[in-house]
Amino acid sequence: MRKIFVIAVREYNAAVRTKAFLVSLVLLPVLMLGSFGVQAMLRDRVDTSPKQFAVIDRTRGEEVLRALEEKARERNENHLHNTAGRQVRPEYVLERVPPPDSTEARDALRLEQSERVRRGELAGIVEIGEDVDEVAPAAADLGDFEGPDPAPTFDERVSVRFQAHSHTSHEFTAWLRRSVSDVVEMRRFREQPISAEKAHELMRKVPLLARGLSARDPRTGEIHDGAEANRLASFFAPAGLVMLMFMMIFVGATPLMQGVIEEKSQRIAEVLLGSVRPFPLMLGKLLGTVGVATTLAVVYLGGAYAAARHFGVTEHLPARLIAWFLVYQTLGVLMYGSLFIAVGAACTSAQETQTMLLPVMLVAMMPLFVMTNVIMEPDGPLATGASLLPTAAPMLMLARLSVSPGLPLWQPLLGVVLVLLATLLCVWAAGRIFRVGLLAQGQAAGFREMMRWVWRG
Amino acid sequence: MSAVELENVTKTFGPHTAVDDLCLAVPEGSIYGFLGPNGSGKTTTLRMIMRILHPDRGVIRVLGAEDLDAASDRIGYLPEERGLYKKMVIRAALRFHAELKGCRDSRAAIDGWLERLGLADWGDRKVEALSKGMAQKVQFIAAVVARPQLVLLDEPFSGLDPVNRDVLREAVLGLKRDGTTVIFSTHDMAVAETLCDFLFMIYKGRKVLDGTLDSIQDRYGSDTVRVRLEGNGLDLGGVPGVVHVTEFGRLQELRLAAGADPQQVLAALMSRTAVRHFELGRPSLHDIFVRIARPDTETPTHA
Repeated sequence: MRKIFVIAVREYNAAVRTKAFLVSLVLLPVLMLGSFGVQAMLRDRVDTSPKQFAVIDRTRGEEVLRALEEKARERNENHLHNTAGRQVRPEYVLERVPPPDSTEARDALRLEQSERVRRGELAGIVEIGEDVDEVAPAAADLGDFEGPDPAPTFDERVSVRFQAHSHTSHEFTAWLRRSVSDVVEMRRFREQPISAEKAHELMRKVPLLARGLSARDPRTGEIHDGAEANRLASFFAPAGLVMLMFMMIFVGATPLMQGVIEEKSQRIAEVLLGSVRPFPLMLGKLLGTVGVATTLAVVYLGGAYAAARHFGVTEHLPARLIAWFLVYQTLGVLMYGSLFIAVGAACTSAQETQTMLLPVMLVAMMPLFVMTNVIMEPDGPLATGASLLPTAAPMLMLARLSVSPGLPLWQPLLGVVLVLLATLLCVWAAGRIFRVGLLAQGQAAGFREMMRWVWRG
Repeated sequence: MSAVELENVTKTFGPHTAVDDLCLAVPEGSIYGFLGPNGSGKTTTLRMIMRILHPDRGVIRVLGAEDLDAASDRIGYLPEERGLYKKMVIRAALRFHAELKGCRDSRAAIDGWLERLGLADWGDRKVEALSKGMAQKVQFIAAVVARPQLVLLDEPFSGLDPVNRDVLREAVLGLKRDGTTVIFSTHDMAVAETLCDFLFMIYKGRKVLDGTLDSIQDRYGSDTVRVRLEGNGLDLGGVPGVVHVTEFGRLQELRLAAGADPQQVLAALMSRTAVRHFELGRPSLHDIFVRIARPDTETPTHA
């Protein structure tokens, strides 16, 4: 027992007292926040130079174009800036092009305007059909008209035609569809006995308010809404926890494997085996790594909890969840750490580990693939089943715990028991592989040979 | 009492028998030298004494005990392939090894050993800064710092210059003075002849020699003549009564046939050239080693 402790302390110090550890300690949150930040930044960082569109309005009197110009002006005045006052959207400039009077002239005009788009003078060409006031077949409501080429093809006369070099940006088409529909809607109602303004009012969408769960204020006893449900937070908090768990496990397990390979290649293994048996040696290494991972987790989760308290959003990171995190992390590090140790013991160089790690990594990454589904539907059969798989439980059970307050206690407890059993199995098998592999030199052992080591010891 | 006892120990690796039915008794407080050509089973035997490997058959008693945990803290081990964590400071690495052997307060012992082996200025450097010879001495300290009763050294002298060889030999003798039993393997016959109380030779997994240097040499009798002759590159073939000639350049070692008369050999040599040196004696350990390890020359006469 004392020897396990001596080994664990050395492993811990070897890992923690390095510059690399300090750098990664700082780097991990920087990268995580950075990637969110970059996404947020990229969302705002669009081309804000004015975009010019040629508009050919074939309706009588080109009334639709005039209404569209009005809408574009309104948009350019009011909707180009974000709340911080920075321009985040481009101005739309609509250029009137007189409608052609024959099919030949129409095709020539389209070509002429297309050339202008190719020269970069225009962003696109809009053509409004002469009978756009007629009601198109009902299928128009079904397909997502924003798509570049809606599945049902409508007669050009009742459609709006939009030509552009590429249809990657949906922003203008979305605006165009909305605006033309609004304009045409008003014109259609004008023909009806009901006033267009009234009809437009009646068609206003019902607003939807997203709120958190009701809670009783412990001081005043009043019942009030929770903070307005923040869709981003309620997804990113569990996703962040799962990612953190994944990283903790591999930040811990990967150096373990490298350490074993170092001990083999530097022939330290035999010196150690002169003082301590293989199994306690392995346990010591695992415990040292659990210590490292726990240190990291305490730093990160402590920081996150402090931040959550500061911003008053502790419901996304309750202390109970942190406790579960530490329990599952410890088991996860032990389970995956022992697998990594076994791989390290079976190989003699870092290159050789690649192929053998692949199956382990696939198993380990499975939770990341289903994470979104589990967070969206934390009580569904997929979530329940997957989160009880020992290899996935540390990540998925945690995700469920963080989004599903009604999760029956027996589930995470059963998860712990199952992971514990799997961990014991992994540690036991890895110990046997470790014992044989530690002194083996030369070629890497194949999977079959490893199984034989486990079997025969 | 014996510090190490092996009874009919056999160890196989697949089809290869590394150690075959080996019996050995190492008296407490002695220096025991393991000899044998490469791949003859020396390291396997040492590893089995350390319980890093387990024998297929037979009993190994170390310091009177048959299980490792009782004994391991009292054994120091320097494996053939040395290894220390490169990034560790030397003092910390030595403290780690002392603590693994259950030695809590090792500071004084570490300082003493570093001083004795001429490494006093290196204690606060990292292992990776050491030269090969220095690393070997540090490794030696790691094996002995916890004051073990039994020390196993696998080729402790290989790769050391003569000065460091002397330093290490002095250290081994110091261990003996403190009552420590030392077992070491070596290819250096000169060291083995001068340092060891007992010699043990293993060949193809079997014990071929075991005893004091005197008792081993006695088995071969006085069948060796060392001569120095005038002239170079002289062909000594055909001298009657000589079965084998070992050429050392300026010295030749002749092995006499059983019953051959040394005086006749001398006469035969004198008839060919001037003899500067003629010495009748027992075979050197080197010669005995070669006779066993290269059986194509001649099977040794077991007197």
